Order: sequence, then structure tokens, then C-alpha cells
Amino acid sequence: MIKLKILISVFIVALFTAFISCDSNSDPDPVVSETIADLNADYAPYESPLPTDRPPSRVGATNKYTLFSFKTGTIVSQADSATVNWDIAFRSTSIIINGGTSGPGSVTAQIVSGTLESITEAPIDGYKSDNKNGTTAEERNAIPAGSGKGWYTYSPGSNLVSPIAGKVIIVKTADNRYVKFEILSYYKGAPATVSPEPAGTDKDRYYTFRYVYQPNDTRIF
Amino acid sequence: MPVKKDYSISKLFCICCLLAFSLFAYGQQQGDSLATRELEGVIVTATRNERTMGLLPMPVSLISKATIKSMGSLRLNDVLAEQTGLIVVPQVNAQGNGIQLQGFNPDYTLILIDGEPIIGRYTGSLELSRIAVGNIKQIEIVKGPSSSLYGSDALAGVINIITERPTRNKLNFYTRYGTNNSLDLNGDVSLTNDKLGVYLFANRYSTDGYDLSPDKFGKTVSPFVNLTLNTKITYKFSPKTDLSVSGRHFKEDQRFNFEVVTNNNPIRTAGKGETEDWNINPVLTHRFSNRLKTVARFYHTQYKTQTNLHLESDGSPYYQDDFRQSFDRPEVNTEYYFNDKNVLTLGAGFIRESVQTSRYGDEAVRLQNTRYSFFQHEWNPTQRLNLIAGGRYDYNTVYGSQFSPKLSTRYEVSKKVALKGSFGVGFKAPDFRQLYFNFTNSAAGGYSVLGTEVAAARLKELEGQGQIQTYLFDPALLGNLQAEKSFSINLGAHAEVLPQLIADVNLFYNSINNLIETQAVAITTSGQSIYSYRNILRAYTQGIETNLTYPLAKYLGLSLGYQLLYAKDKDVVRAVKDGVVYYRDPNTLVTKQLKPGEYFGLYNRSRHQGNIKLFYNNKEKGLEASARVIYRGKFGIGDIRGSIQGEVIPPSDRNSNSILDQYDDFVPGYALVNLSIAKSISRYGLRIQVGVDNLFDYKEPILIPNLPGRIFYTTLNYTLSQKNKTN
Repeated sequence: MIKLKILISVFIVALFTAFISCDSNSDPDPVVSETIADLNADYAPYESPLPTDRPPSRVGATNKYTLFSFKTGTIVSQADSATVNWDIAFRSTSIIINGGTSGPGSVTAQIVSGTLESITEAPIDGYKSDNKNGTTAEERNAIPAGSGKGWYTYSPGSNLVSPIAGKVIIVKTADNRYVKFEILSYYKGAPATVSPEPAGTDKDRYYTFRYVYQPNDTRIF
Repeated sequence: MPVKKDYSISKLFCICCLLAFSLFAYGQQQGDSLATRELEGVIVTATRNERTMGLLPMPVSLISKATIKSMGSLRLNDVLAEQTGLIVVPQVNAQGNGIQLQGFNPDYTLILIDGEPIIGRYTGSLELSRIAVGNIKQIEIVKGPSSSLYGSDALAGVINIITERPTRNKLNFYTRYGTNNSLDLNGDVSLTNDKLGVYLFANRYSTDGYDLSPDKFGKTVSPFVNLTLNTKITYKFSPKTDLSVSGRHFKEDQRFNFEVVTNNNPIRTAGKGETEDWNINPVLTHRFSNRLKTVARFYHTQYKTQTNLHLESDGSPYYQDDFRQSFDRPEVNTEYYFNDKNVLTLGAGFIRESVQTSRYGDEAVRLQNTRYSFFQHEWNPTQRLNLIAGGRYDYNTVYGSQFSPKLSTRYEVSKKVALKGSFGVGFKAPDFRQLYFNFTNSAAGGYSVLGTEVAAARLKELEGQGQIQTYLFDPALLGNLQAEKSFSINLGAHAEVLPQLIADVNLFYNSINNLIETQAVAITTSGQSIYSYRNILRAYTQGIETNLTYPLAKYLGLSLGYQLLYAKDKDVVRAVKDGVVYYRDPNTLVTKQLKPGEYFGLYNRSRHQGNIKLFYNNKEKGLEASARVIYRGKFGIGDIRGSIQGEVIPPSDRNSNSILDQYDDFVPGYALVNLSIAKSISRYGLRIQVGVDNLFDYKEPILIPNLPGRIFYTTLNYTLSQKNKTN
């Protein structure tokens, strides 16, 4: 028991040291990582009162994707949906990329394992575009939808969507630039403990993600 | 989810440890050690023949009637919860009590009464509280795979409950009353003459149940009443031939009141549940000579359970569920003594099992037949060395054949030290659920589960009706389920370390393959998941179990038990080693690679478990007392689909990798302190006992629903017995 306490103390000290070393070790990368917080991917409140005989529907959902450009680091207007001005788009848990059957562009993407820091070079090949006529989730989307198939897991018991740690999405944009990005949270404010609506109070369909955009013509980040 | 750390309890445990060890150091007086006596106990489970426990080469233990009485236990789970290496865990639906042994889930331990299996593994594990303890003579526990003698389900081990036999004329009444208005009434009578013996036992147990979340509708455990009848008749035809016929009947009625949450809307329901089992077991033993003995036995048992729920608001039916199982088994086994050094046992039998339930989509009877034969040879080449080799062959109509060998040996290094080792293979057949389920859970969101024997046809049918939105897994690959298999090694030592300080140590390693897991197969057009089963998981459990006993003083015995356990998913271990498992700190949102030491293991396994027990027994004064501290270290609760009284069980994983690592939420370790004191007045055949279980009222309403709070109780026992007849 005493050993355990010593162990805990050592652990706490180690944790602090880790924090300090993280702080002092500021960005050696030539490219910068950006964090986008709370990108609204068609959030809508649940109907009230909740029905007892079917899953509840959501009031006022637009069913439209929120478009995003890595080059500018901003949300792109809905009016530009038929242009090549956007790279990626979010609607609830589905993510599409501008290309294939999803848009006029030629964006391709793939998911790799690692942390944003550990991936220092984008793969040469393995990129896919969206194809809505595919038979499996993996064929339909370069970033497949479904629990455990792409970027998240879903637990029916707690109605919780959890972005899988260590899934980094590599995007190759229409002008052959590379982006690595990681989804951090699916809930508004990225709370540490999530209690999703309608049972809880946390609003879903709000993406927080971190990405690195390489503006130069290189696969090295 | 806030996780509290109960330091006061762990501190108390430390103090108790220190106290116990210091007492150890000073205790010098001679006494009648409990352990020594129990070592000389005779157990039948390990070899199917009566053998002195201390001479057996595999890890075995025995719980005597006296110990059970001293603990004031009511049901089997109360007794098992206090044993080293055994943990009473809730079943899949977070209700009930099953047993975890060497880190195996409850489904993997075979539970027998007088050598015959108890059926009714309705949700996979067996509800231990179905077994009253009043008629138990002793409980025998064999750890390590025992499929070589018992076939399916004996993967982790075997727990065999030996019930009383009529040995003398005796009448006994026993009653216990305690917290939650729990009343337990027992009566047993034993009558014998030279040839005939009759034993009758009756038990009635009623309780108001308990409520760990009083602000929620319904109780955690609803009120119930149950009745157990047991009889055993023995008849000696001749000095060579005797017959024993035993029977059991159990019936329980429970009244439920609980809230079901469907689509986030709480629905209040009420209703009742009924569970019933009965069995009959004639056993004929004939000794052809001093060397040859044959036992022929037949066992028939039936189990049925039924739940009916209606809406509290208008009384309309809400949920109905029923399950019936029957099991028949004739078996013959023969034991042949070649000489003092060689004993051979041969046996063969046939099992016919059937299940009928609304959960299989119809009320048709599903049948399974198994034929088996086994052998075992005990060889004692010298006084110091013994060796037991055995094996069993099972042939089943559904899952094919299994051969389960086992080899055990014991070597006495000196008078004080003996070494033991055993290697064995265990298996568990796919159960009826995994084969025939055709069940849609309307009470929990409408997901469906299909057994592998029906999945293909049912999916085709749904597809024809246009109800399949997408397949997640190719149904053609589901295939036939294989039996789950384990390869295990147990290495142990039994030693008198100091005068009268007995230490038992056992190292175990179980490698388990073909573990059956649910596999998501398809999603329906209404967005519901359809699951089936596959042999996907591979896991291992390994650890050390240690038991120490020491007579502290003339009437005072001390025992210490400890189990260290590592239970891990082999594929996760591999993935962590390969560096492809990550975790994301939920506060900083920083993702890191998980290092091998950071993977904790399977859910619901505690790395540390232990107990300290003091038993005082002064026969002259008729005074008995016990103090027991039972500790269970931290564990992860897992991502259990379901809720307790409308509250969702929080998942342990908090860093987005779906495995249990050291940064996740754990249920904190806890210690339970149980005390009892009893006084016997032998002149009147009376014994009075008072006790308290869970003295410090430890509770975890959502995470450990099977643990009631503090229980006070008192028992009264009256025995009228004829002096032992000389045989």
C-alpha cells in the first residue's frame, strides 16, 4: 500500500516533469499546426418531448455539409459547394472530400495510424476518393463512416461518439498539397467527460480538430 | 465520471495486514490448525475418487461445513466471495452473481452438486444465489482445466458442492434473520438404520431485496422468496452394493418494479419473475472385489425461468421472456486397483440437452447430444512421487469432437515441502444462445442477436423483406462456431515454512483461444444493429495465488490469501507492442502512443485480490468468532450496454482507444470487513450467532450493484442428534 503511494507520487512528479518538458520544448516544426474548435456539422436539437415508440428526430437539421478549406483555414460558404474552393466537408459523423462522387475537385485522402507529431511524411500512394456507389463503407468514402471503420467508435449504451486516438487523416488537396489532420472531439467545447444529448447536456456534431497544412510542394511535414 | 478513492478502507486493510503479520511473529502457542485439518480432508472432485486432499497434484481447496457456519452464510455466492482467487461478479446484464476464477468469466467454471452439473446458464453464467448452503457438507474447488474428467465448461476449474448424506439420526433447525427483512428458515432431518438412510432438507428464504439508488424508481434487487427441497435416500443392498437416490427442487418468485429507458423515455414497469429447477440423481455403486468398483449414475434435471412485465400505467403487457432447459445424463465409471501403485479409472456417458425459449424466435425444442468417454491413471512409483494422467473424448452433434488431456504430478521433496505441477486442456462448447438466438431486444433500443446456426437464413429473410440497409460483415464468413479452448499450466508448492506456518503457492498460466465474441453483421433500414457470434478473441490469464495459515494461539487460527492476476487480450498486447495503439488525454486532447506497460488488461479483472481471516473456536466453552477482511483491487467496469435503474453504466475507457489502460477510469479497490460471534450450548443443542457483513457499509450503486450495504444478522440453530453409532 505504501509502495502504491510512492508509485502514485512518482507518477505525479513524472506527470509534472512531462508537462514542463512539453512547455519548454516549443515547436521545432517548420510548419504550424492549427486547431479548429467547434465546427458546426449540422447540429440540431432533439424534438421535445421525446417520442417513446421510435428514435427521436432532430428539429431544424439542414442536412447540408459544412465545407472547409485547409489552404485558407476557414469555413467555405454553401454557395461554393459546386466549386473546388473546399477540401473537406462535415455533416454529423460523415466526412466527405471534394472529389469522386462528392464534388468537382480531385481531393483524395487516407487514414493512417500515428500521432500528428509522429507522422513527418505523407505516404506516396494509398489515397482514395469518395465513391457513393461502393458496396462497403470503405469503398464509399475515403474517410469511411461507421463505428470502428474510420475515425470514430459509437457506443449505443451511452449514445457516445468517440474519435479513435491515433487515427490521422492524410489529405492530398486538388493542387497537390498535403494535410495531416486529427479529429479531437465531436462535442461542443470538447469536454473531458461527455454526457451527450438528449439524456445529457453536451451538444454533438461539433468538430474540434487539429491539422498541419504543408503549403509547399513536398510530402514532408 | 468521478471516481472516489476510499483511502480509509485501504488504510484499514494495511493496518490489518501489519497487525496480522505482527501477530504472526509473536504467536507461538500450539493449536489445532484449521489448515492441517482441512488438508487431511477427503475430496472427490479432482480425480472422481475419494482422495486425501493434501496428496493431490493439482490446486484444490475445500470449504467445510464448520467454516460456512462460522461465516453465517446464506447462499453459495456468500461463501465463494470470501475465497482467495474467487470473485463474485455480476452477469452480463449487470445483475446477479457469477464466479470469476483465475480471471475467467463465470461461464467458464463448471458448477456441480454431488458431481452433477447445475443447469440454467440463461445468460451464460450460473446464478449462484440459487444454491442454499444449509445442506452443504463441503465445497470442493479444483482450479485449472478439468475437462479431462468433466468435459465442457470446466475451463477455469470446477466447484463441486457436496451435500449431506444420512449418517446418523439427527434433527436440525436453523434460522437466520437480518437486514432487509431477510428471513432464512432451514430444517433437515437424517434417519438411518443398518441398511436405509434418509436425509431431508428444506429451506425457505425471503427478502425485501435492497435499493442502492433510493431516489430512482424500483429497487436494485427486487423482493423475492424461494424454496429449496432436497432429499437423499441411501440403501445398502449388501456390503458390496449400495444405492443412493437424491433429488432437488427449487422455486423462486420475484416481484419486479423497474424503469426501462427506451428512446430516452423512462417507462415504469411492474411484473414478476419465476425460476424453477429440479433434478433426480440415482447412483448405484457395486464393488465386484476389493480391487474393482463400478458406479452407474443417471441424472435428469430441468430448469425454467419466466419473466412477465406490464406497464405500470395501464397494465398492458410490456415484455415477456421464457426459457426452459433440460439435461439427461447416464454415466458409468469403473475404478480398478492394480496395486498400491496403480489405479485406473474408466468412464463413459451420454448427454442429451434441450432448450426451448421465446428468444429463439419460436418455441421449438433445440436438441444437442454428446457422447463421451474418459480415462485416468494414477501412478505412485515411489512414496514421494505420484502422477495422474487422464483424458476425455467428447463427441457432439453440433460442434464436433474434443479431446481434453491432463497430466499432473506431485513430488514430496521432504516431509515439509511438496511440489506440484499440472498441465491440461479445457474446452467450452458454444452454448445454445450462441447457436440459436433469434432475439430482438425491444427493451434496449431494438438491436437483434442471431445465433450462428440461424443467422444466414434469418438475414436472407430480412434481406428479402428489404430490411437490411448494409452488411458490416459477410454472413458467409460467420461459419460454424468452434469450442473455446484453453491450455493451462499450474505449478505449485505446499510447504511448512516455519513450524506450523503452512504456505501454499500456485503459479498459473491459461492460454485461451477461439473465444466467442459478438460480431456486428448488419444494420437494418431502421438503423438497428444485428449481431451474431464468431470465434475471434485470444486471451491469456496468469498469476500467483498464495495462501498462508498459522495457528496464532490455542483456539485462534489465522489465514492470509492473495492473488496476483494479469488477464489480457493477446491481440491487444500484440498491437501495443507493435506501437499501433494510442490514447488521447481527454483534458489536453494530446494523443500519445500507448506503451506496453500501460495496457491494464481485460475489463472486470483486479490485479490484486486478497483476504485476512481470523477464526476463533473454543470447543470447551462453545465459543466461536471470526473476523474476515476481503479485499478486491481496482478494476475497469467495461463498456457495458445497459443501465441500472435508468442510469447508464459509465464506460471505463476515457481516452478513445476502447481498451483498458492505466489512464482510464477504474472502480477503486475496496475491502469488506465481516464479523461474527457464536455461542453453543451443547447441553440443549443450541447455537446462537450474531454477525455483520460489510461493517463499513461500502456501496457502489451503479458500478457494483450486486454488493448490498451493511447487513446485520442473527442466527439460531437447534440440533437434536443421537450419539454416533459405532460402525
